Amino acid sequence: MSESNVPSASDSPSSPAPKRERKPTPARFLVSPVTLWIDFLMTWVIKVGGIGVIVAVIGIMVFITWQVLPLFSGASIQPHDEVKMTMPNPAVVGMDEWGELPFAYDGDRTFEFYDAHGKNPPQKVTIALPEGEKVTATRYFPEKYSLVIATDKGNVGQIKVRYDAEYKDGRRTVVGRAELGTLEPLIDLPAEAAAEANPATASPAPAPGTPAPATPGSETPAAPAPAPTPATAAVAAQTSTKITVIDRGAGESNALVGAILKVGEKRELRAITFKAKRSIRGAGKMTLDQRYDLTGQLKAAPAQLLVPSTADALIVADDSGQVSYFFQDGDKFELRQSFQPFADSTGSKAIARMDFIFGDVSIVFSGENGQSRVFSLCIPAENNPEQKRIFALTKEFPPLAGPATFFASSQRNKAFLTGSGKQASLRYTTTETIRWEKNLDFDIRQGIIGAKYENLAFLDASNVLHVYELHDPHPEAGFNAFFGKLWYEGLAGPEYSYQSTGGTDEFEPKLSLIPLIWGSIKGTLCALIFAVPIALTAAIYTSQFLDPNLKRIVKPTMEIMASLPSVVLGFLAALWVAPRVADRVPSLLLILVLITLCPLLFGWIWNKIPKIYRLWMRPGWEWSLMLPLLVVLCVIGWNLGPYFEEIAFVYVDPNTGQRYADFGLWWKHTTGGGYDQRNSMVVGFMMGFAVIPIIFTIAEDSLSNVPAGLRSASLALGATRWQTAWEVVLPIASAGIFSALMIGLGRAVGETMIVVMATGNTPLMDFNLFSGMRTLSANIAVELPEAPQFSTHYRVLFLGALLLFLLTFVVNTLAEFLRNHLREKYKGI
Amino acid sequence: MSTNTRSTDEAKPLTSHPRAHNKGTSSTTTSEEGLIQWNELMPQDNPIPYIRVKDFSFFYGPKQAIFDVNMDMGKNRITALIGPSGCGKSTLLRNINRMNDLVENVRHKGDITIDDDSIYDPSIEIISLRKRIGMVFQKSNPFATSIYENVIFALRVAGRNNRKELDEVVERSLRGAALWDEVKDRLHSSAMGLSGGQMQRLCIARAIANRPDVLLMDEPCAALDPIATVKIEELMLELKKEFTIVIVTHNMQQAGRCSDYTAFMYLGKLMEFGTTQQIFTNPKVKKTEEYVAGKMG
Repeated sequence: MSESNVPSASDSPSSPAPKRERKPTPARFLVSPVTLWIDFLMTWVIKVGGIGVIVAVIGIMVFITWQVLPLFSGASIQPHDEVKMTMPNPAVVGMDEWGELPFAYDGDRTFEFYDAHGKNPPQKVTIALPEGEKVTATRYFPEKYSLVIATDKGNVGQIKVRYDAEYKDGRRTVVGRAELGTLEPLIDLPAEAAAEANPATASPAPAPGTPAPATPGSETPAAPAPAPTPATAAVAAQTSTKITVIDRGAGESNALVGAILKVGEKRELRAITFKAKRSIRGAGKMTLDQRYDLTGQLKAAPAQLLVPSTADALIVADDSGQVSYFFQDGDKFELRQSFQPFADSTGSKAIARMDFIFGDVSIVFSGENGQSRVFSLCIPAENNPEQKRIFALTKEFPPLAGPATFFASSQRNKAFLTGSGKQASLRYTTTETIRWEKNLDFDIRQGIIGAKYENLAFLDASNVLHVYELHDPHPEAGFNAFFGKLWYEGLAGPEYSYQSTGGTDEFEPKLSLIPLIWGSIKGTLCALIFAVPIALTAAIYTSQFLDPNLKRIVKPTMEIMASLPSVVLGFLAALWVAPRVADRVPSLLLILVLITLCPLLFGWIWNKIPKIYRLWMRPGWEWSLMLPLLVVLCVIGWNLGPYFEEIAFVYVDPNTGQRYADFGLWWKHTTGGGYDQRNSMVVGFMMGFAVIPIIFTIAEDSLSNVPAGLRSASLALGATRWQTAWEVVLPIASAGIFSALMIGLGRAVGETMIVVMATGNTPLMDFNLFSGMRTLSANIAVELPEAPQFSTHYRVLFLGALLLFLLTFVVNTLAEFLRNHLREKYKGI
Repeated sequence: MSTNTRSTDEAKPLTSHPRAHNKGTSSTTTSEEGLIQWNELMPQDNPIPYIRVKDFSFFYGPKQAIFDVNMDMGKNRITALIGPSGCGKSTLLRNINRMNDLVENVRHKGDITIDDDSIYDPSIEIISLRKRIGMVFQKSNPFATSIYENVIFALRVAGRNNRKELDEVVERSLRGAALWDEVKDRLHSSAMGLSGGQMQRLCIARAIANRPDVLLMDEPCAALDPIATVKIEELMLELKKEFTIVIVTHNMQQAGRCSDYTAFMYLGKLMEFGTTQQIFTNPKVKKTEEYVAGKMG
């Protein structure tokens, strides 16, 4: 109390200045600068921390979204090079893997390779076709860099286009080569012509099995083969008989060549098979096996022809727009299916083009009006009594501006490039989407998709090849692929399917996330069905009925359970619970029933006991009487299970009449669903154990936090403990209980290790309680190590993560709204 | 119950103001511990002893909260329990309907009887005991339901769902709690929208809905403003026609205004028990005098 510090009040009026001087603050009122500084610092630390948390969560969200976004973008295309082709009207244009050295083939014997950058002059390569022989039909297989040609003498040959790197002066140059393999006689055209000219004396087509060596094409040396077979007669007939369309498919030990012959004004369809003798050293040389004339089975003249690489079928389109699918069955060609892709078209039903999609299972048909439809081989369930593998309409694309004038199929995926006139369209078969479409400023005569799906090229009418860079890293992705029902090749119909990796190059990833979402929901539901009743009743019992002394032990024990590592639970589930439970399902069912009945029975008996004896038991300890009963019932249930199985779950083999008391068998034959050892029940059970402590702890807290006054009021009004709990405590605690459920739900949705270990991780979509599943979170855990960075697969896993994130976000937001609503309803207490 | 609460010889003094009757009560004797026996207390009034506390001691674990209390509370009278905080008056009150059983580690000695029935009789269901004794708490504690549902809670839990009966009970109880006119238009709106005084009166209405014999009030006006307090006090004077009321209060004026008998407790012991008039004007025990005069507590 130092009064000298404080200026006396009489001082102030004496000072004339209007500005009042601030009185010095007594030391005891001063705040230490350190205190202020710490206060300031902590304020900021807390601010930064709080904002940091928000920023971190948003940052994670943004990062995941960033990783996912490219999946939903289309293709982008940039002009790269323009190459002027000196060859007029090339029959085939092709491009190397890097888009550096495109080639043109004139349809006879000349190849020209052009430097895409225009630095080097075109390289001209001539193939060693015998003098006087002319190529009448060609087909280019871009994935193999090979061409099949047919000559006017009825020979067939294969041209390999090769790109060899050479080093000159330390610089790498790529040199294009084209080599013709051995020419094989395919059809004796002069004889055909003679037969045509003089049908009366016509000899039948050469007998099947003529020993004419055919090449599989690869191992033949570059040396030009001498022109075999007699081909000198009937020169006059050559003008009228020629092969106009050819296609070839080669398997490991057989090959099939299909050809359309023009004989005078008529067109005929021929099929020639080749066979290789198999020896211990593998397949040997191909030899001509059989010749077939299939013209008689067609209703109109054949116009187009496809042979799949499996070399067991011919697909022929005729002038009327009818497509015939011939399947080789032993020595016969069976007309397995005949269909009209554009039967419903009002105008022309003719087919402008038909081409295989990569994999040779789907065919794109282009109609005269620009329609674009995809038919795929499958075993449809409908209209297919013999369950044969036939073509069915699987996809329909928006029509082009006119009949397709060019077509190119990707050699990496199910994309194809087509168009009409100036229009170019890059489409993806599986997802039925247009990746890119544009009207270019020139008429397109041919289109090419680079081998690596990184380049596109278009040849215009003035023979300029426009090379584009294609940027489309995720063509198979898209909303359709993730959330739509897609008809994948080979399946009987559209379905949700997830299979991200496969064994072969032709494998197409199936990326539907629906089975994973389903798995997450199924796992969560199983866990919650198991956990919620137990956790909530336990919470109500503990907070309202249990002896407070005991509660002090029970509560922390449950809290410790919540921190049990889920990997331990998963391990237990997979290696301990699953095998034991596998053949004891009837026991579990019995125990479930007994456990449910036990408290009812006990309660009934308890109420029959006179009150004098009941008083003997302290309130909150009644459970100790029931516990032995419960244990005994469990033991009884477990041991009675096998007998129960023999009564209720017997499968009788319809063939032998043998009876099997086996729940798994019974389930399989009664419900049609499978029975796996690691199934949803085990997951529900074990994940329930992870969820129960969380729900229990939070629900118990909220129940215990209900103001004691309300409980007292209720009890004082003569309500029983249960009436008080049910009518008064539960409604008020409902907001907290709801939170508990939501947090439990969030835990179950995100739970990974238990699901990974305790299920088979098969992305199934069924309601079967005894089958496994794959959840979004388990999918990420299982597949992330094998997903290359920035690949579609990698991004799809991130999409799964984003979905989980959003799921939790939406559930929690909804929960918060509901919780606030409940809290609002019961506020003021 | 209402039929035998109004015997004609009692009606007259009870309708008058508490201060008006029991004049000149002096013939009470004080035992050595300050315990006052009922029979010697009020010859003129002479109500029926309804609640009798006999040698009652109560323990919270090892701590004894009430020491050998003996007192009788008259039927259709208001008995006030006063005393400084922690003196055991609330504990005694809460023992009458055995609410203290909810507290862990408690035990008691002695007995409390209501209408000569021991509340600790094993054959008595604690639920029916509580139905017989209504209770109003210090902090109003209406349930988070409608006014209507609050009032009929006791009937609901008893399984009485006859709509007509419930309607009658609601009106009678709310009228009894002097709340009817204020809430009759919004019976089905939330009880949370009422003011503090209204809430407390709702709690009283709820407590009397099942027509108990006894009404225990644990500082019912502690959280209320003076106007609401006056209303509750007036209400108590009305209610005692029908119920036996025991009230714990810190408010000397309140005890003086509305109670017929007053018990002063101190450190778990009953120091003095007598008519309100006597306790406030002529206390026999020094502690009582100090407390009533505001020198203590």
